[in-house]
Amino acid sequence: MTRKAFITESDVRALAADLIAAGTRVVAPGRVGTPLGERIEYRVANKVDEILLGQDEPARSLKDFFLPPTDVILAWQEKKDQVELTPVSSTFAPQVIIGAKPCDAAALEIVDKVMDWDYHDELWFGRRAATTIITLACEGGDRSCFCTAVGLEPSGTRGSDVLLTPAAGGYSAEILTDKGEKLVAAHAVRFGADKGADEARAFAEKGRKRVDANLGLKPAEVRKWLAGHFDDAFWKSIALACHGCGACASVCPTCHCFDIVDECEGLGCGVRRRNWDTCQTAKFTMHGSGHNPRADQSSRMRQRVMHKFCIYPERFGEILCTGCGRCARVCPGGMDILEVVSKVNEMACGGAK
Amino acid sequence: MNLYQPYLMRVDEIIDETVDTRTLKLAFKDPAVAESFTFKAGQFGEYSVFGAGECTFCVASSPTRKGYIECSFKKVGRVTSAMRDVDVGATMGFRGPYGNSFPLDKMEGKSVVFIAGGIGLAPVRCVIWNVLDLRDRFKDVTIVYGARTVGDLVYKRELAQWAARKDVKLWQTVDPGGETPDWKGEIGFVPTIVGKAAPSPKDAYAIVCGPPVMIKFTLPVLAKLGFSDETIYTTLENRMKCGVGKCGRCNIGPVYVCKDGPVFTAAEIKKLPQEF
Repeated sequence: MTRKAFITESDVRALAADLIAAGTRVVAPGRVGTPLGERIEYRVANKVDEILLGQDEPARSLKDFFLPPTDVILAWQEKKDQVELTPVSSTFAPQVIIGAKPCDAAALEIVDKVMDWDYHDELWFGRRAATTIITLACEGGDRSCFCTAVGLEPSGTRGSDVLLTPAAGGYSAEILTDKGEKLVAAHAVRFGADKGADEARAFAEKGRKRVDANLGLKPAEVRKWLAGHFDDAFWKSIALACHGCGACASVCPTCHCFDIVDECEGLGCGVRRRNWDTCQTAKFTMHGSGHNPRADQSSRMRQRVMHKFCIYPERFGEILCTGCGRCARVCPGGMDILEVVSKVNEMACGGAK
Repeated sequence: MNLYQPYLMRVDEIIDETVDTRTLKLAFKDPAVAESFTFKAGQFGEYSVFGAGECTFCVASSPTRKGYIECSFKKVGRVTSAMRDVDVGATMGFRGPYGNSFPLDKMEGKSVVFIAGGIGLAPVRCVIWNVLDLRDRFKDVTIVYGARTVGDLVYKRELAQWAARKDVKLWQTVDPGGETPDWKGEIGFVPTIVGKAAPSPKDAYAIVCGPPVMIKFTLPVLAKLGFSDETIYTTLENRMKCGVGKCGRCNIGPVYVCKDGPVFTAAEIKKLPQEF
């Protein structure tokens, strides 16, 4: 079903402008001001010139647009001796993401598995269904990137509807899904005949080589080692640098744990929300009695690594990590997931690299 | 509408079990749901007080009793405090039933030994009534129940009913020092009394729920009596939020307690990392 086309840089911007003008929500990398300067984030683009393509990886992943940091799941109101519930809609207005990183698009497909595990999470899939993702192939990121070690590619197509790969004068466009086809058909004037395929292939190859140099893993061996070394002293030693702040989980495109809480919004009315949560905090597993099955930080660190590289793969056939490198970039303790998993890999492969 | 939307429940009855433990009897407000709702012994749900939040408990009533559910809880936190403040007629929420269940079909034609400590009797009580309501399908029924003190025994009215039945062998016990002058039951920890009751492992299943320390010391006693780990069932009580395998909270090693449990055999528990 995939077919190829070509789009120039200015036509990508014109496409974004058309979408914004038509009232469609466009999400794209853009600059966000912070007290310490600017950084790049995925953000709702109100104007085309806010969109930055082909820059560094946005500081946070696309997760925010599918599993928002806080999301109302129902509203309630007391009426005399009754309580009335107002369900929230799981139908969302269409949105188009332009310039997604391939790792971030792939993350969505990976998290789909748990969100559809026997119970279908309507809020997640409602947003998934409403979103068309135009991914921009990545030239290989920085030293913290390791997508190729977890089975992905800097020019990978997973989770994307359209993949753009830089070629002379614009982008070679690979149309991957029905949703992608629909979008391209609706804006056919912006797309030309396929060209630049060879350049795109070379770009992908170069990116792959660049990321490959950062980390090599044998995922099956890593999984086996993790399953058999729950009580290894390794966990105690690596956890010494961990503050338990959960920044890693916050920026992670695949960390999806959440909390459910009620908030009163007035007398006799309020909402129930689901908020991001993380296995890195002590209260995550604490029982009402005060007993905590994961009482120290090493057990919480271990849980995060195990869940990503052993538990999720066993259950869903996917590594719960895209190698985006964000957790390594934000860690205040200087912990580096590359270091952790490469050590595990080393131990798993009998000391050999 | 989404999977986190609860059923609306009406509080029909409030029963104080001990000074800090209470049972709520909840009826479905929607008659169609009351009619169609079914669950299996051992399954749990998310109970909520609007404005306070949700909390996870097993359904403590038997699936053989239709149209309502019961939950028993101890006041320890925000939601259980709010649950203690509700009056008869108040509206609560319930999502469920979730999780697996005790294998009643496998237990048919066999003897069942129930062992519980403290409020651990709640999930066991569900199975006890399920078995007693279908009494002719099972062989011997033995119940060993203990609490720290006489005042901490829950479901006292039902303990009296079970004690009066000829087709139930009931052993009640309190920890040494927890007895009252007129206490007629045993004095000793649950594992000791299980040894004294010495139920036969022949064609028998054991269901054990209670504080982790009680379970820990009861398993070797059952093993000595000849129960294999495959015939001993218990429940894990990990903290949960969603109940449907999404929120990640109850995951221990390869299992999600909400989806793969809460009911596990002793054999399954022994294979898990010690994170419960």
